[in-house]
Amino acid sequence: MSQYNVIGTRAPRVDAPDKATGRAVFVDDMKMPGMLFGALLQSPYAHARIRGIDVSAAKRLPGVKAVVTAKEAGLVRFGVSPARYDETLFCSDKVRHVGDNVAAVAAVDLETAMEAVSLIKVDYEELPAVFTIEEALADGAPLVHEEYPRNICAEVHQEFGDVEAAFKECDLIKTSSLTSKLQNCAFLEPQACIAFYDHWGSLTLYTSTQTPHYVQRTVAMVLGLPVGKVRVVKPYTGGGFGAKASASHLELAACLLSMKAGKPVKMRFDREQVFWHGRSRHQFFHTMTTGVKKDGTILALKNECYLNGGAYCSFGIATVYYAGSLLGGPYKLPNMKYDGYRLYTNLPASGAQRGHGGVIARSCWEQQLDMIAEELGMDPIELRLKNVMTAGDVTCNDLNMSSLGMKEAIEVVRDASDWNNKKGKLPKGKGIGMACGFFVSGAGYPIYRSDTYHCTVVVKLAEDGGTAVVYTASAEIGQGSDTTFAMIAAEALGVPLEMVRVESGDTDFGVDLGAYSSRQTLMTGQATKEAAEDAKRQVLEVLSKELNIPVEDMDIKNGLVVFKNTKPDFTALRTRYQKEHRGWIDNPGAEEELSFREASRIAYLARGTIVGTGKYRPPELGGKFKGAAVGTSPAYGCSAQVAEVSVDEGTGKITVEKMVDAHDCGRAINRTSVEGQMQGSISMALGEALFEEVKFDDKGRILNADLAEYKIPTILDMPKVDARIVESNEPNGPFGAKEVGEGNIVPTIAAILNAVYDAIGVRIHELPLTPERVYLALQEYKNKSKTKS
Amino acid sequence: MKKIIRLTVNNEEHQLAVEPNQTLLDMLRDQLGLTGAKKGCEMGECGACTVIMDGITVNSCLVLAMQANGKRITTIEGLETEQGLHPIQKAFIEKGAIQCGFCTSGMILSAKVLLDKNPKPTEEEIRSALSGNLCRCTGYQKIVEAVQSVSEDDVGPARQES
Amino acid sequence: MLLPKFDFHEPTTVAEACQIIAEYREKAGILAGGTDLLVAMKKKQISPQHLVSIGRIDELRKLDSSSGMLKIGACFTVADTAASEVIGKKWGALRAGARALGSPQIRNLATIGGNLVSASSAADLPGSLISYGARVVLTSTSKTRVVPLDQFFLGSRRTEIGYDEILTEIQIDEPPPYSGAGYISLGIRASQDIKIVNVASFITLDSSGKTIRNARIVLGCVGPTHLRAASAEKLLIGEGPSEAVFAKAAEAAIRDSAPRGARYSRASAGYKRAMVGELTRRTLGIAWKEALE
Repeated sequence: MSQYNVIGTRAPRVDAPDKATGRAVFVDDMKMPGMLFGALLQSPYAHARIRGIDVSAAKRLPGVKAVVTAKEAGLVRFGVSPARYDETLFCSDKVRHVGDNVAAVAAVDLETAMEAVSLIKVDYEELPAVFTIEEALADGAPLVHEEYPRNICAEVHQEFGDVEAAFKECDLIKTSSLTSKLQNCAFLEPQACIAFYDHWGSLTLYTSTQTPHYVQRTVAMVLGLPVGKVRVVKPYTGGGFGAKASASHLELAACLLSMKAGKPVKMRFDREQVFWHGRSRHQFFHTMTTGVKKDGTILALKNECYLNGGAYCSFGIATVYYAGSLLGGPYKLPNMKYDGYRLYTNLPASGAQRGHGGVIARSCWEQQLDMIAEELGMDPIELRLKNVMTAGDVTCNDLNMSSLGMKEAIEVVRDASDWNNKKGKLPKGKGIGMACGFFVSGAGYPIYRSDTYHCTVVVKLAEDGGTAVVYTASAEIGQGSDTTFAMIAAEALGVPLEMVRVESGDTDFGVDLGAYSSRQTLMTGQATKEAAEDAKRQVLEVLSKELNIPVEDMDIKNGLVVFKNTKPDFTALRTRYQKEHRGWIDNPGAEEELSFREASRIAYLARGTIVGTGKYRPPELGGKFKGAAVGTSPAYGCSAQVAEVSVDEGTGKITVEKMVDAHDCGRAINRTSVEGQMQGSISMALGEALFEEVKFDDKGRILNADLAEYKIPTILDMPKVDARIVESNEPNGPFGAKEVGEGNIVPTIAAILNAVYDAIGVRIHELPLTPERVYLALQEYKNKSKTKS
Repeated sequence: MKKIIRLTVNNEEHQLAVEPNQTLLDMLRDQLGLTGAKKGCEMGECGACTVIMDGITVNSCLVLAMQANGKRITTIEGLETEQGLHPIQKAFIEKGAIQCGFCTSGMILSAKVLLDKNPKPTEEEIRSALSGNLCRCTGYQKIVEAVQSVSEDDVGPARQES
Repeated sequence: MLLPKFDFHEPTTVAEACQIIAEYREKAGILAGGTDLLVAMKKKQISPQHLVSIGRIDELRKLDSSSGMLKIGACFTVADTAASEVIGKKWGALRAGARALGSPQIRNLATIGGNLVSASSAADLPGSLISYGARVVLTSTSKTRVVPLDQFFLGSRRTEIGYDEILTEIQIDEPPPYSGAGYISLGIRASQDIKIVNVASFITLDSSGKTIRNARIVLGCVGPTHLRAASAEKLLIGEGPSEAVFAKAAEAAIRDSAPRGARYSRASAGYKRAMVGELTRRTLGIAWKEALE
């Protein structure tokens, strides 16, 4: 029997009924009186100087209410990391990728706005462009940003321990590489927003975002408004996965247009523009060398990585750090060296995507560990179990595994997949493979350097005592955070879930850094718990005075006041409540227990509105070296996965037949939601492993900026996922909880790569594993074997 | 120039003036306020705009409003009755088949057409029937489980309303 | 994505439709299922000033197999093609193509005529139809002509159809006894995929089942239009069906194919050629099995 009443259940999500009936309102579903429609003018060239912009014809078009360019927007630079504020709302000197933003129009309808955009004449001088790492680094290459020589946006050089010395101690040293392709988050809801600037000088922005707080700050900074006069509201949002975790030009343009036109302005990306905006997973080129002892002990890892960053930095500094730091665990690794380079190119900017920076690094390394296990004659699971960290271990780069069910997760998937009877024993063309991974449960530091609280939460009790409202600026983007916080508040307050209402996604409700780095359950969860406990304490304090019982002798459970010793006579309180609610049909009557509702009402009568507050900021985390912050977190979630695949050797087509997945999420707040995150992240990783790649022509134009040719998995591509929750008790998490949203995407690609090897005996070092790539690898392997024999 | 069409949406008759180049999706969303059908791609690739037209699922972004003249349309808003939610809606809620919710309307309508015709589908039939509805959140598993959980009794004999 | 403006016409008979397009000629676009046309219009690839919907012409939605010959109206949907018992029984490769096309929602709208008129060599229906020796009926105000489908396609997005003509019907003769056909399209994902290579094979055996009397092999995605693998067909005729012969035919089909080595193609020319061989071998296997049933 669980010690909790709400935590750990499978409560249906609070937002599900509205979403099941079409009632849930997303930004594009909203209309406002007098609302205008905006459209962006975006560059057709990958790299071009802007010699002039003529907006006169656009302005003359009937129905056009505002036309803005860099002239109106100004040149305040923004971005994600303040160290690389390299974007302006509109380009002034040159455009740096196809789809770069040049101007925007607001008009009475979308048709007019689009027509006006087509009437803007831009005099471009096309410039030579760079699209690949090699082109970007070539001598005399054109520079994407003049202030960044050799097009290096960021580089990282770290060494922990002494890798070269350690290699000398090793019995086996293995080098391999992995190349990935540019990804797109491909959420179902394209970005959309409505901005409304009123006569009091207040700007309200309804937007589809993961991070209302960062959007609020960026809008205020770029448009020169006080933060307090910018309110960002996030209605229901149709997925984010990283690409909606920063302010976009769409949002900024809508705000500026509304300020100019004095009307609400709606803007949305079409699917092609979602791809132009990008900000999803980078293309990575990893080369790794690992040294081990004969018995499988891992001694050292040397990791080199190049990232194709596109035209702007976005999250790129964090990305290039993560691509190194997230290999510090979950295996004991005393020596690690990392050299990472993020390059500017004339492609849409890459940013963060689920498993930020860690996915391809992990895929490369976990495939290499399998190669090492094979050479050592060890089972891959045995190799991993030999090196696995446990709770309390600290990585060589100072990440503290305060809880870690990695070993348990490996054992669970080993047993659930029948690994010992399958590994190496499946018929030709079928294979089984496994891999592990871990991820932060909330970035240890905000994206801008600050001592800010990462979140503040308010729990307000309704005056009748019957409902607790949680106010949080956190972002429900589909992951289920509203439900999580409702459950945490209910548990902490001691009331049934139905008595809690969550209001979220509004910067007026507090500070919350938002839905990225898998932070909300732990961080916003802690603040919610604190706020609920604060409200409960206040209720009990009033009760203590009224009944003359010490606070510590009382509690609230299941919506009832629990008296630890003798139950007092609370008839007077009940009578008071009843008198105040004459005519109400649901008044407490002859019940034996005093209800939370009565107690809460009495508290209101004594003190006014009962408001509990909570806040969370992680303690100082990590080491003192440069970049030590990236990878720090109050906790780490981890996963082990086993993939079973079949490979059609005639065509090279891979089918993933089954996935067994175990994830340590600390204590599961909502078991259904945890499984949903596990299954969902596997589908994203499966797409990246097998299908997904944003392709460009030689002019930097996207060839597949749509959901037909950018292929995310359909329901027919997804295998059964056997999701097993491994619970640990995370000391830094609310009720012991930590992340599940991203750690679980980390092992999937490598598990598939390793299963493919088990099936056909070929190692593939480039993603995605399209039929063609697999077929050609098989042919090459067969030709080589022929030459040998 | 606008033309007048008549059609039945969620069992209610409508007479509307529409532009020839207006899609059924825009008509439903803008003129009837039925925003449950979503714009995910506008190219017939994602299924978020799925509605039922004369008993079959269509991507309403690829149907002109003019083509819907005289047809019976069911949108997600039409599934809820005075008796409450449709069993498929209930199942999606109970089984955790909904995350961001953007694909949900289309998923449920595709599932409804399937179950109306085939109240006891195999898993393969379920997956096949929903293969025109992309979901980026759930990995589809809980969606399959939700549809499986809706038994023959719940759905009753094939309904003729759409 | 807004559609360009157009005038909308909705004739209820073929004669009326022919009159409208005779009047507007190249300014008219014919709307059947709309799954290709409306997408192309949204992308501004084409902007017909007059859109002529033929979806309400009853005679274009029929399926008639009463005469031994199968007559399919141009607006017969792909979903109905996939579901049709008579098609499944006698023209299984056509059903396989219909099932492979797009998604359920797309199949519900898309029509068999539209899939032909779009003239894409990645399309899923032309291959099997050509392999069955299908013909199309083109109707204008002045005349009706019947064109063998393998002479219908002139190039990518180009067909024999004139500005004043409507494709009204597809005709397929009943396959002779001891015939069979197979169709496979290879894609990347399991649904909603635009394919890398597709192959349809049709063979007729003699009554003993020991000799191939006739063979038609059609290759998709390896040229501007679907191609007949003529030398593979020639090689098969007169031979006894066997895996070994099919492998030889597959080699010949590879030589018959002409995939572009274009950089932006869905796959390299080399891989496409290899898959032509693989799919030819596999579809011949399916056809053989069906021929013996």
